[in-house]
Amino acid sequence: MKDIENRLKQEAKRLLESGEAEVVLAYGRGYDEKHPMPYAAKAVSDVDNIVFDEYCTFNMTRYLTEYPLGTKIAIAVKSCDSRTLIVLMQEEKVKREDIVILGIPYRDMIDSKTGKAIDNSTACNLPNPVLYDILLGDEVTERDDGSPYDVLKELEEMELDVRWEFWSKEFSKCIRCYACRKACPMCYCDPCFIDQSQPRWADKSPSLESNLMFHLTRFYHLAGRCIDCGECSRACPVDIPLHLFHKKVSKECEEMFDQVSGMSLDDKQVMVDFKMEDSDEILL
Amino acid sequence: MLKKIGLEKLNEFVSALIEKGTLFAPVKGDAGVDFQEIKNAGDVTLDFYNTLQSPKCVFFPQTDDMVRYRLKKETTDIEEISLDFEPRIAFGIRPCDVKSFEIMDKLFTRGGIVDPYWESRRKNTTIMGYAFDAVDPADFYGAFGIHAADTTGSDVFMVKGEKNLLLKAITEKGEKLLSSVDTLEDALEEDRKYFEERLKKGAELETRTLSLEGVAGKLRDMFGSPYWEKVAAPCLNCGVCTFVCPTCHCFDIQDETLFGEGTRRKIWDSCMFTDFTLEASGHNPRTQKSQRLRQRVNHKFSYYVTNFEVTSCVGCGRCTRSCPVNIDILTVVEEAVESV
Amino acid sequence: MHNPYRPIPVEITKIVTEVDTNDIKTFRLSFVNKEDEKNFKYIPGQFAELSIFGKGESPIGIASSPTQPGYIEFTVQKAGVLTSALHDLEEGTQIGIRGPLGNSWPIDYLEGKNIVIVGGGFAFTTLRSLVNYMLYEDNRSRFGNITVVYGARTPGLLIYKNELAAWEERDDIDMYVTVDKGDETWAGREGFVPTVCKEVGPSSENAVTVICGPPIMIRFTLPVFFDLGFSKENIITSLEMKMKCGIGKCGRCNVGEKYICKDGPVFSLAELDKLTPEY
Ligand SMILES: Cc1cc2nc3c(=O)[nH]c(=O)nc-3n(C[C@H](O)[C@H](O)[C@H](O)COP(=O)(O)OP(=O)(O)OC[C@H]3O[C@@H](n4cnc5c(N)ncnc54)[C@H](O)[C@@H]3O)c2cc1C
Ligand code: SF4
Ligand code: SF4
Ligand code: SF4
Ligand code: SF4
Ligand code: SF4
Ligand code: FES
Repeated sequence: MKDIENRLKQEAKRLLESGEAEVVLAYGRGYDEKHPMPYAAKAVSDVDNIVFDEYCTFNMTRYLTEYPLGTKIAIAVKSCDSRTLIVLMQEEKVKREDIVILGIPYRDMIDSKTGKAIDNSTACNLPNPVLYDILLGDEVTERDDGSPYDVLKELEEMELDVRWEFWSKEFSKCIRCYACRKACPMCYCDPCFIDQSQPRWADKSPSLESNLMFHLTRFYHLAGRCIDCGECSRACPVDIPLHLFHKKVSKECEEMFDQVSGMSLDDKQVMVDFKMEDSDEILL
Repeated sequence: MLKKIGLEKLNEFVSALIEKGTLFAPVKGDAGVDFQEIKNAGDVTLDFYNTLQSPKCVFFPQTDDMVRYRLKKETTDIEEISLDFEPRIAFGIRPCDVKSFEIMDKLFTRGGIVDPYWESRRKNTTIMGYAFDAVDPADFYGAFGIHAADTTGSDVFMVKGEKNLLLKAITEKGEKLLSSVDTLEDALEEDRKYFEERLKKGAELETRTLSLEGVAGKLRDMFGSPYWEKVAAPCLNCGVCTFVCPTCHCFDIQDETLFGEGTRRKIWDSCMFTDFTLEASGHNPRTQKSQRLRQRVNHKFSYYVTNFEVTSCVGCGRCTRSCPVNIDILTVVEEAVESV
Repeated sequence: MHNPYRPIPVEITKIVTEVDTNDIKTFRLSFVNKEDEKNFKYIPGQFAELSIFGKGESPIGIASSPTQPGYIEFTVQKAGVLTSALHDLEEGTQIGIRGPLGNSWPIDYLEGKNIVIVGGGFAFTTLRSLVNYMLYEDNRSRFGNITVVYGARTPGLLIYKNELAAWEERDDIDMYVTVDKGDETWAGREGFVPTVCKEVGPSSENAVTVICGPPIMIRFTLPVFFDLGFSKENIITSLEMKMKCGIGKCGRCNVGEKYICKDGPVFSLAELDKLTPEY
């Protein structure tokens, strides 16, 4: 891991020095060792602040859309993060030629809030980035972790009403802080539908109904685009397992269209036209 | 007055409290412990560090209904929601959070304009403070002169020992409550000793800290500094830090209507949201996240100090613990002040 | 306990469409309960929250003067949810009002001075309140010369046309009404407000200017008054920030440590200079 950090610093320095990148999106020190932060290095002198350890869970692609198109950006990505890049490129939010991708071959990151390892039940946890220019270490060897959808088994086996109860309970907890939306690299709309006042799509006060309106619409906007990075769930202060819902939608998409989001630049996105009724069905 | 109750009899005691008024106490949920209105004594827990969200919900719930209305063809029927709240008990409040109530009082009664929704619950509530027995690395309440077993502001102060919960009446209100509950036993000399010992130990526990000297002025002076852009770079502009904060008081007022029936309500809002200051014309004085983070920090550590002579933060560490990108308000203030 | 969030019932007794684009209307409101009218004591420059259940509330400057008993008036531009709903209402409808809110034009400070009123577009509302207040026969002698420069983009966008005409007739107020661009009906002055102010060139001697209008007008007018020798203490304006509670609680309308709903909306330029530049 120290090796990855050193390589990351080396490359960041080189790219900033040569001008190949105006900014390097990576990770920096936080208030203690267990709490690193997203970090944007803009000058060679910033590079010393870069860190990498198992707590660097952030999907840095979240910040790409903040930069004007055409900015030369180098970005550190782990496996799921690289898949986000592919989707963002398919959606022309970033251009392949503007981005230097620094791939991080590392899995089993640790969620600093829970202290638990991130595995394929909460994220995609592929061993290696799918797309990169420079790999900052040796490829991680494959391992049989089972499918990232195995975690859905329990939910899928539930009776309809039990499943409804499960999700009702979860969504009732939502305090509408919008951390899930803000942490998600695919939620870049401005303004987001939920912030509009004419018409107002859902009440601002949290209630099961308005929360469902927010989440179902958001799920629907992410169908076929979510790449299972799990940032939404990790950001949620009240631990709503949003990733389970996203995984379920992804699984359906995969079965219907035989395509996994963010795995190849050549894929055309499955622009699935879910209707609210359909997503309800998935929910139940 | 010092009383005690065996931990195994906590349920009995809580049941007695429920009889005395609306009880808010810590309950264990999936993500952590949070304050809830208690219906079942068994739900209450004393085993937690601090709650995920703050106890401000006791006086200032996320959604606070003011008026119910029914829209009719020609007229609107209006029903004001009563402010005659039953007496309340806030149980298990950590010393830093107790202090937060006093800070919020200043805002909600400023300039003689009293917010009746805050005030009528507040004056009706007995606060049962609860000593910390450890320190989380995110906390910095020490910076505000609060310590882990600080009894200031509590009506009753509680210390949990190995076998007993010790309860000391701090105010008359507290004394009244304790003497009205007969499940409690009188404390013995050894309990008294233990209690005093814990207060002493609490005062010695060290949190992170910060010198507040000159902070308000310095923050104001560096309003235009590029520092804000740098420090706000990771910020997502979610509302977590402000929603979990015991001293964040911002709210929206919304009319929420369904099929002609609706409610006008106050709903928590956050200066971190992009539309917080967005006007109907499209003009927005705070379009950048650096402006919004600066507002949050300056409001707490500078503007509030100018207006009310107290920092609008008690160092409870919640915002830091809950921030999805680990932005730590103490570090932000520290570095800001250093950068001047 | 007094509830400052409770709207007082009022009835719309008169609606005047002010401009030819139809998106600015003046609403005359009468209190349903006489008691409320007595308690609603306001000073020019203050505002109130207009309330329609189901639509919400909006802060609107009071356009009438306390010297006009029996009603209060508001001139409202159709913008978003509340203001659009208000525009759809008819005379006779009941709505709600909370207030009066905020500080006011500094009447005490204005007393004994020459007053220059500068307004642009529909931001003339609380200035109109002030003019009517000063022109009121019991008050007129408390103030020196009154000069009004008021402009709009087109003749059709001037508000309070009848009143402007009536003021023109008086000899105790100097009126300079101007439009950026006239049309066939317009026999009056053409020219931008800053230019007209320069032409009029009011003396800064014992004078205060009170100015309200679009930011761009204000930006170009201020240098004119600086050149005329007006100090920052003697240039007074009204700020606008998004509001909800109107009473300094909801935390939305602050500029630095000042809450525009409570400490404002009226500030002198000297006071504005001390605020953080974020409005
Ligand atoms: C002190 C003051 C005096 C004003 N006087 C007048 C006046 O005399 N005539 C007039 O037409 N307009 C006036 N405005 C502007 C007016 O308040 C807004 O145009 C109005 O609130 C828009 O509300 P809405 O519901 O139609 O728009 P929406 O976009 O639906 O707004 C929703 C809510 O946001 C708040 N809000 C939005 N824009 C503003 C804003 N610009 N200022 C304050 N709050 C806002 C209001 O609470 C509003 O109800 C004044 C504003 C202030 C602060
Ligand atoms: S929805 Fe969640 S898992 Fe999917 S891309 Fe967004 S943050 Fe990642
Ligand atoms: S992060 Fe969690 S609490 Fe916040 S809006 Fe999303 S689901 Fe709700
Ligand atoms: S919780 Fe963190 S990321 Fe979210 S708004 Fe606050 S500081 Fe920004
Ligand atoms: S700002 Fe943070 S540390 Fe301070 S009181 Fe609020 S949540 Fe606690
Ligand atoms: S302005 Fe921001 S920091 Fe201050 S109380 Fe409101 S939400 Fe909290
Ligand atoms: S409008 Fe609520 S504080 Fe000013």
